[in-house]
Amino acid sequence: MADKPKSSGTGGNTPKPKPGGSGGQSAKDQSRAASRPVAAKGPKGGNTPKGGGNTPRGGKPVAGGTGPKGSRTGVYIAWGAVGLVIVVIAALFIVNATKSNTKDLSYTPVTPAPAQVVHDVTTIPLSTWNKVGVSSSQVSKPTPVSGQPPMSINGKSPAMLYYGAEYCPYCAAERWAMAAALARFGTWSNLQITASSHTDVDADTHTFSFHGASLDSPYIHFVGVEQYTNIPNSTGYTNLQNPTKEEAQILTKYSSSKYLPTGQSSSNGSISFPFVDINNGLLFSGASYDPQVLAGLSWTDISGGLSDPTNPVTQVILTTGNYMSAGICQATHGQPGSVCTSSGVQAAAKALGISAS
Amino acid sequence: MPALRWQPIVTLLLSIYGLGASIYLTITHFEPKALACVTTSTFNCEKVTQSPQSEIFGIPVAMLGLAFFVPMLVLCLPAAWRSAQRWVHLARLILSITGVGMIIYLISAELFVIKAICLWCSSVHIATLLLFIIIATASPIVLAPGYAEVETVPADGALS
Repeated sequence: MADKPKSSGTGGNTPKPKPGGSGGQSAKDQSRAASRPVAAKGPKGGNTPKGGGNTPRGGKPVAGGTGPKGSRTGVYIAWGAVGLVIVVIAALFIVNATKSNTKDLSYTPVTPAPAQVVHDVTTIPLSTWNKVGVSSSQVSKPTPVSGQPPMSINGKSPAMLYYGAEYCPYCAAERWAMAAALARFGTWSNLQITASSHTDVDADTHTFSFHGASLDSPYIHFVGVEQYTNIPNSTGYTNLQNPTKEEAQILTKYSSSKYLPTGQSSSNGSISFPFVDINNGLLFSGASYDPQVLAGLSWTDISGGLSDPTNPVTQVILTTGNYMSAGICQATHGQPGSVCTSSGVQAAAKALGISAS
Repeated sequence: MPALRWQPIVTLLLSIYGLGASIYLTITHFEPKALACVTTSTFNCEKVTQSPQSEIFGIPVAMLGLAFFVPMLVLCLPAAWRSAQRWVHLARLILSITGVGMIIYLISAELFVIKAICLWCSSVHIATLLLFIIIATASPIVLAPGYAEVETVPADGALS
């Protein structure tokens, strides 16, 4: 680098540069400066021997040719874009967290079933039952069980146990068939209507609740257990009714792949909502048909079509109902004859390989 | 104007990680049993990688990740960062913008449609986001006119 000239004394003259020199640089310095691309301006005034050339930066990239204003704008744009992207991604997470915290707590309350709905479900013409038979291919067959003792609950036998929950959409679908089939063997009282969870799959499927309902029948003792309501709480749904010890033993016994092989039970060898055991001879675990077929239909829409054998909703409900009827007829040894000898029930019994008489 | 020091090596490492994770996710897209991942109510890799959103126009998203990280790895090699060719730096910037746009879509799909988060996918999203941040903030340097023409100034002693 160029040497800084020494002052000869206070008040004296600044030494003049040598002729042909540049700012007091030596010949070596001049040679170096000439060999480099010079981006910075040279020393001002020519006589001041400061600087005299670029400071070399051993092989590292440097920017050149862009004015400070232009490069500053580029930096602002770049960091602005980065900030925008981070804000967008943060917003996605914040919106999601806010949405999760505002859980849908709505539900359809349980109310007494309208008389017209109860009438339609409990007075389906025999001809409709028989025309439908087991014609719907959308219905899964239940699982026959053999060699088990007849079910006895509270000392009453034969018996039929239903285990489900009011929030459960699969139970909502199954109850239509159960209400219709059991009405062939007795008289319902205190049937109520409600709907499945508003947030689960097949949300708000219209149905009955068996909690508090009873079937007066000389042929079969029906017990319905609704474990949970459809009222959401912090952990799921509020508890409604626990199975008794006797009922729990039945549920535990049949919650096994021994009785519910894979394919029948949606939870691979254990019972799932809804679970229906007809006198330990016929098991239903999970929905017999897709609740989607009931989507958007009100209670009166569904019940009003039950006398029409060509209605697709009626066909899935009554096909399931005929399978249930065949199971009950097996338990009652063919009683009552008017139901058990009907062609629809006989077709169901034949399809299941059981005797309905 | 600051010099590029750590950016080339960090972007190269991020690209290598992203490429490796994309290869793994592509394999597990076709062989879900090979997927090793935490499964809770929030995190569920299989639910994400087997969802309808895991494919775009029939192409698995994991394969799109491969298509992103292969050229990105090439463009993040130290030689590419030193290139005097402006299009190399523009291509890197455009690719990183495309990548970050894609992760915004995929995060939206995970949070609002699939309602599950895939940890493997999230690690690739983070790598892509970091690549974007580094490349975008380095772009004013590498896209400046004259970049690399004056970058290899020899040390003082070289000419003495």
